[in-house]
Amino acid sequence: MIDLEKLRDLARETISRDDVKYLIGWKPGTHGFRISPHFVSNPEETAELIFSPLCSNNLATYLTLTEKRPVPRGEQPDTRKVALMVKGCDSRAVLQQLTEQGITKDSVYVIGCPCEGVIDIKKVEGKYPGILDQVEARWENGKISLYLPSGKVEMARDDIVAEKCLTCRYPNPVIADVSLREEVEVKGNNTFDDVKKMEAKSTQEKWAFWQGKFNSCIRCYACRNVCPMCYCEECILDKTNPTWIQRSVNISENTSFQLARAFHLAGRCVECGECERVCPVNIPLSHLNRKLVKEVMDKFGFEPGVDPEAKPLLVGYRPNDKEDFIL
Amino acid sequence: MKLNKDKLADFIATLPGKKVYGPKKSGETLKYAPVTGAADLCLTAANTTVPPKSVVFPQTETLLRFELGTTDIKTPGQESETVLLGVRPCDARAMTIVDNVFSWGVEDPYYLERRAKITLVGLACLEPCANCFCTSVGGGPASKEGLDVLMTDLGDSYLLDVLTEKGENLCQSASGLLINATGEDQEAAEKLHEKAASQISRHTDPAGIPAKLPHLWESLLWDTVSASCLGCGICTYLCPTCHCFDMQDETEGSESRRCRTWDSCMFSEYTLHASGHNPRPTRRERTRNRINHKYSYFVDKFNVIACVGCGRCINLCPVNIDLLDILSKVGEEAR
Repeated sequence: MIDLEKLRDLARETISRDDVKYLIGWKPGTHGFRISPHFVSNPEETAELIFSPLCSNNLATYLTLTEKRPVPRGEQPDTRKVALMVKGCDSRAVLQQLTEQGITKDSVYVIGCPCEGVIDIKKVEGKYPGILDQVEARWENGKISLYLPSGKVEMARDDIVAEKCLTCRYPNPVIADVSLREEVEVKGNNTFDDVKKMEAKSTQEKWAFWQGKFNSCIRCYACRNVCPMCYCEECILDKTNPTWIQRSVNISENTSFQLARAFHLAGRCVECGECERVCPVNIPLSHLNRKLVKEVMDKFGFEPGVDPEAKPLLVGYRPNDKEDFIL
Repeated sequence: MKLNKDKLADFIATLPGKKVYGPKKSGETLKYAPVTGAADLCLTAANTTVPPKSVVFPQTETLLRFELGTTDIKTPGQESETVLLGVRPCDARAMTIVDNVFSWGVEDPYYLERRAKITLVGLACLEPCANCFCTSVGGGPASKEGLDVLMTDLGDSYLLDVLTEKGENLCQSASGLLINATGEDQEAAEKLHEKAASQISRHTDPAGIPAKLPHLWESLLWDTVSASCLGCGICTYLCPTCHCFDMQDETEGSESRRCRTWDSCMFSEYTLHASGHNPRPTRRERTRNRINHKYSYFVDKFNVIACVGCGRCINLCPVNIDLLDILSKVGEEAR
């Protein structure tokens, strides 16, 4: 159970701090199972904050997505921190951003929210379509309860949570200035059964699978924009001189786009699953990312966003590396 | 006239020489794609994720081809006659709205040729989605605007309401398959249409919005509603009335082509100047533009709101930016 009063008190305390400019959390959305990211800059706005199994959005993306306006002459930039509510996976994104120096430690205040797994909205909307009233969801006794207009429904966790939660090893934030609640039990394991299943297919089968998926891609770039690790100042996709990836939407360019993105996330993807959640045409992007997670783990024993002391995988080297091209 | 559902395949077969598109499942996603038989068609689901604008105004279109170093320019061949089956009334209305843009000032030959050769066979919505609000913006679940034929699902058959000459031609070639509809059929269809309209549960009153928006240019409202925006292209790419495009020359070896591709005002480089200056520097200005374009500029220019209430932008926004919520905030705002 989540004590919402405690959460709002904690948020009020946080937002009253002199070194915090605003807080980002979750609030109920405008309809049904939807959730909105909630930007809180005064104590009154904390009243809407929630933390529930519907809070899938990884808010860490807003740390790097903010577009800064030029500071007017004579004014000082606002260097106060952004307070951010994070689940386990979200906290890995913050930690990875920190180790990559995409953000600095003094720019963020992390409120850890140990998480028992979030609902896959596509699953739940498929099961209960057309609900306009706001639905409340709660973790209760190892299950997930949905408070629908027609009454309460209890669902087994594994039937309704997002795929990423089934393999989650970090339900408890790996970094937090303050925590909302006690730690929760780790339920996921990383045997990579999903990846192995895909690896077992022939090249032709794999290509047929991905061709079907990439053909559907409309290049809306929601996967890139929602990704907390996609924060290059100028994305390779937007470059026109040279144009690495053409604007034409076809299987060749779509494949280049998706593979370029997957490779740029090697050793960086924290498996928050946001890319797959937001895709309007249901491309199972986590299959791609998980394959690279496995490669990186097998080859380098590295997991991004879990060790504050670790150097980002692809910017470090060992002088005693067995490959002679390193030094 | 009526078409029995078991004759749908035969009906499609009466359209030889024509390209036939309909809502088709590609994995979990519904979009318009060429159909060859009734089995391909998905007419039972709610609306498609990708609107049928993708047929009239394709996401990527080659305008001309050329070889580097030569002056030999090839333009694309003639478009063929095309039939779109199962188009929802909102999406058909959207095409009439977009027509304004492509025939205003410079006529766009590519779009207009395709548009002239398309026959739209609509399908009345009998079970509107939760976020549909077509009745608030001048449409309805059985709106006929823009359609050549409107079909209504009567259970075992479709009632066909033939609305234009194009529609008549289509039905004439299929006349052997069609049976006469009775007055009872007509009444049944009307009842279904009324019931569907009454099931639409989200509403907005856009009457005062176009006049009010220009006064809210500097309102803090835009900061609030855009705070969570990711700046992706979902709301615009999948909007049936959004029509912005970019043109690029693309080269592979010595083969080059000039392409037109969809563009989105929600992208940061959409208004980026060569100088580096961007008049819409953040998502605040871009969100403001999206709403203003649909509910103010377009109304000024063409006297119609560039929104048909299909609900896609609401359904598909990853961060629950809700157009109706924005409009109600605009309504509450003091001038």
